[in-house]
Amino acid sequence: MKHSFLDHYSEGNSLIHRLDPRTKLITSLLFILAVTSTPPTKWPAFAIYFCLIAILLFLSRVPALYVLKRSLVIMPFVLLIAIFIPFFKEGEVAGSYNIWLWQVSVTYSGLQVLWNVVIKAWLSILSLILLTSTTKFTSLLKGLEQLKMPRVMVMVLSFMYRYLFVLVDEVMRMKQARDSRNFGKQQRMRTVANMIGTLFIRSYERGERVYAAMLARGFDGQMRTLDRLSFRKLDACFGTGFGLALILTNLLY
Amino acid sequence: MHIPDGFLNVATVATTCAVSAGGVGNAVRIANRKLGEKHVPLMGVLAAFIFAAQMLNFPIAGGTSGHVIGAALAAILLGPWASVLIMSCVLIAQSLIFQDGGLLALGANIFNMGIVASFSGYYLYRLVVSIMGESRRSQLIGGFVGAWGSVFLASVACALELALSGVSPLAVVLPAMAGVHALIGIGEGLITGGVLSLVLATRADLLKLRKI
Repeated sequence: MKHSFLDHYSEGNSLIHRLDPRTKLITSLLFILAVTSTPPTKWPAFAIYFCLIAILLFLSRVPALYVLKRSLVIMPFVLLIAIFIPFFKEGEVAGSYNIWLWQVSVTYSGLQVLWNVVIKAWLSILSLILLTSTTKFTSLLKGLEQLKMPRVMVMVLSFMYRYLFVLVDEVMRMKQARDSRNFGKQQRMRTVANMIGTLFIRSYERGERVYAAMLARGFDGQMRTLDRLSFRKLDACFGTGFGLALILTNLLY
Repeated sequence: MHIPDGFLNVATVATTCAVSAGGVGNAVRIANRKLGEKHVPLMGVLAAFIFAAQMLNFPIAGGTSGHVIGAALAAILLGPWASVLIMSCVLIAQSLIFQDGGLLALGANIFNMGIVASFSGYYLYRLVVSIMGESRRSQLIGGFVGAWGSVFLASVACALELALSGVSPLAVVLPAMAGVHALIGIGEGLITGGVLSLVLATRADLLKLRKI
């Protein structure tokens, strides 16, 4: 397997790693909600949100450079918005440029929208990276189940997580086989379609085999596990502390 | 098309979350009734399939590449509600593991790529098949039309949400999103058609599964 990139660093042992997954899920959700609902002009609030995340990142001992690299996934979407900025005609003009035939002007309101969207998206992504780098996916699912997510979905997700690696390996092998046959030339649409079709049939048959094997071992639609989640004093302290910090930031600034 | 957090305003987030929660809740109820929780392993492996299939990029005009959403394919093979369930799980995992799409924006993303894409893909496919009659050709054309429509309509829904949130004016974001995805949709359509033709040739019985 060549893909340990999923929930990297989640096996660590720090104050943040030891928190209950439910605490982390709810605080992340609250954090994103607070960030999203803050008006764009309140820039001190955003600075405080960033400091909060930075403190938590420091406590969790997840490498900052890794987090920074991962947080760039929003870039394609930011670019999508960025190209629209010149079209915000109303408002005070910040700068006007002539590009070939077009008269393009950048307005303050357009820049404000960009800043608003980028900072909010970036802070939210940072908090999500923190959540998944400090929590194993299986405990995250356990937490989601306790928070009343439908059981079918939790089970589909947990099967998906287990077989994802097997199927990704399958895809890698198919890619290698394809590349070694056509000497790395540009692949054709038809080849990709056939690969996905083969992948579907193989996945389906694997699913049937897994299901039959589980039935043979007495599966009755119920999953039973030994590990229990525990909501401790640490979680209560962390939850109230973080919640208060968010509320104060939202009210004061 | 995965919307990150921070792009949508609170009203849009609340509305799309409510609609998606209702849709997914209904999908769970229908799946429980028609499949029983026993077929869950199969659904899980198929969700992993969509996830893995999204890793295979295909070339689009101009040197860019896209990847399948897969909602139309899942809906044609398993039925729209099963597809809503599978796509929701894929999107939740993408948001949590890869930060591809936000947590609060999950409502909007499930609505676009789960509900809108699954239902439009499925019913466009059925429409084409019922007009042209049940044949290999009609199924392939239906697959193409369904997949193209699912990508196109999902991008329109995405553009509407962005415009309603005041991120950019509708007159700009709608043609841009819809235009780009009309092109990506052709790729998705060709891939979906290709997959269907392979499945028809090797395991045609899989297309006769009971749809939910």
